[in-house]
Amino acid sequence: MDEQAGNRTTNSGISRRSFIKSCSVAAAALGLSEAMIPKLVEAAETAKRPTVIWLHFQECTGCTESLLRGSHPDLGRLILDIISLDYHETVMVPSGHQAEKSLHDSVAKNTGKFILVVEGAIPTADNGNFCKISGRTAMDILAEVGPKAAAIIAIGTCASFGGIQAAAPNPTGAKGVQDLISGVPIVNIPGCPPNPVTFLGTVLHYLTFKRLPNCDNMGRPLFAYGRRIHDHCERRAHFDEGRFVEEFGDFGHRNGYCLYKVGCKGPETFSNCPSTRFNDVDVWPVSVGHGCVGCTEPNFWDSMTPFYERLPQVSIPGTGIVTDADSAGKKILGVAAAAVGVHAAVGIGKSVLKGKKEE
Amino acid sequence: MNYEIKNVWSVLLRLFHWALVLSIVVLVVTGLYINTPWTNTTLEGSVSFPMACMRYFHFLAGYLFTAAVLVRLFLYFFGNRQERIWDILPVTPRNIKSLTTTLAYYCYISDKHDSRLGHNVLAGMVYIVTIVAAVFQLISGFYMLFPETGVWQTLGNALFTSQQQGRFVHHLLMWYFILFAFSHVYMVIWNDVKSSEGLISSIFTGKKFKQKNV
Ligand code: HEM
Ligand code: SF4
Ligand code: SF4
Repeated sequence: MDEQAGNRTTNSGISRRSFIKSCSVAAAALGLSEAMIPKLVEAAETAKRPTVIWLHFQECTGCTESLLRGSHPDLGRLILDIISLDYHETVMVPSGHQAEKSLHDSVAKNTGKFILVVEGAIPTADNGNFCKISGRTAMDILAEVGPKAAAIIAIGTCASFGGIQAAAPNPTGAKGVQDLISGVPIVNIPGCPPNPVTFLGTVLHYLTFKRLPNCDNMGRPLFAYGRRIHDHCERRAHFDEGRFVEEFGDFGHRNGYCLYKVGCKGPETFSNCPSTRFNDVDVWPVSVGHGCVGCTEPNFWDSMTPFYERLPQVSIPGTGIVTDADSAGKKILGVAAAAVGVHAAVGIGKSVLKGKKEE
Repeated sequence: MNYEIKNVWSVLLRLFHWALVLSIVVLVVTGLYINTPWTNTTLEGSVSFPMACMRYFHFLAGYLFTAAVLVRLFLYFFGNRQERIWDILPVTPRNIKSLTTTLAYYCYISDKHDSRLGHNVLAGMVYIVTIVAAVFQLISGFYMLFPETGVWQTLGNALFTSQQQGRFVHHLLMWYFILFAFSHVYMVIWNDVKSSEGLISSIFTGKKFKQKNV
């Protein structure tokens, strides 16, 4: 197990050139200067490969898929080369009892030293009965493995904040890792799915500097989630100039105008999508004409929907009416105007009557 | 009838009032534009920047609004007798009585008017709610304006959980201000008609006319 990433890159099919290229991409994402690239390369090559245990709970495996199936496999391969992935249900060979055994062995051998990656939310309702692996609940497994890790990386919005499982009314009581584990450093890499470069950057940061990157107060690394999408979007000039897409396929859409009026949530979402982009072909949703849906934010399934409107809808209690804020506001204003009319009429009526009496 | 002139509102309070009026009007108009930009500059290169301008005026008015709210909070504690919060909190027997009398008066149940120098307690309570709403409005506003700045980020995330929720609250509170302004203007006119104290002119001159106790 003392094998080092540097040796492996030479015989694992990754060329030195693309190895350095991937490290440079990560350095750029981390906002490190060029001078730091050799340090990063050195850390990736020579640091003892940290043991990683990857747990899957309530999830769709989209995060793993996007990490491993980039159009250009080097990134995923590089990640697998700089870490020693002891347990990952999707890619490991053993199954059943053998798989369980490798989990236990690895935890026992590396207590306090391994990195735990969690993908997916953890259901907590009904004692966590909604997600079981080999007869044990996700809650149980996390409670056993989590506190023994040196650090935890919650990958994806589900593991970070609960994701779609936690959308109202959250029938399974799904929660993110940070709500269940304390005392171990946790970093959240939300996104549905998150950008693999952000994950790679976080791991390389850990290898190079021996600690997790600085985070915002939702536990997201600042290098990737430190700026609002809207503040570094290539369509921003159209926003300021008031040039908007009114509906998909119209003149504005064909001319690349701002997607604000068709519900883009860039103004409310923190992520590096406009700068880091995806899949090695330099695209992200807004660049191909679809608004951001805000997938890196907590409760995005509740607060960012309807995806094609600017704001959530309001439900008027007791009536079952669900409508947008402005039509509700206008109706309430109408009711207020009617009430004022009645109030004034009663007042005038009364004084007319009183006037008559006084005569 | 015999009237005497009483000084009621300080210059600072009147300035606060008109700064709030001006800023709310500008903020509602520009805010609605920010939500649904009703123009569309399809002529490229026109250099009209409607969204940038609307946002600029929104933020300018936002600072005026913030200043006004801070002044009112100051006057709640250091203003004259009518302006202080103790005059309108329904905690003393005098103030609780004002609340019930005013409710009955407004519902045409009784003709007894609680004639005081300052606000009646019902109005005063609504103003307190409005100032509290204004504090939330300006926190959510600055949270959107400076999303990466420590204090606003911490405060905003704690109160609203995310930018989107903050924006939603900001938008809903706009409707509170519209409703408040509408009913406030109505009640002021109604009161001015019902009892001749010069209520409306008092916010320009600071003076009210009160019947002399004979
Ligand atoms: C009565 C007071 C105010 C009203 C009625 C008001 C109204 C609005 C409305 C309707 C929006 C559009 C939000 C949406 O629906 O998308 C908005 C946005 C905004 N407001 Fe206000 N606002 C007020 C006070 C403030 C204050 C005090 C500030 C602080 C400077 C502020 C800063 C902002 C910011 C930063 C935005 C977002 C603009 C953008 O992202 O483009 N607002 N406001
Ligand atoms: S965050 Fe999204 S992609 Fe990742 S596991 Fe959850 S639902 Fe799937
Ligand atoms: S497309 Fe979205 S993120 Fe880009 S400028 Fe428009 S609203 Fe902002």
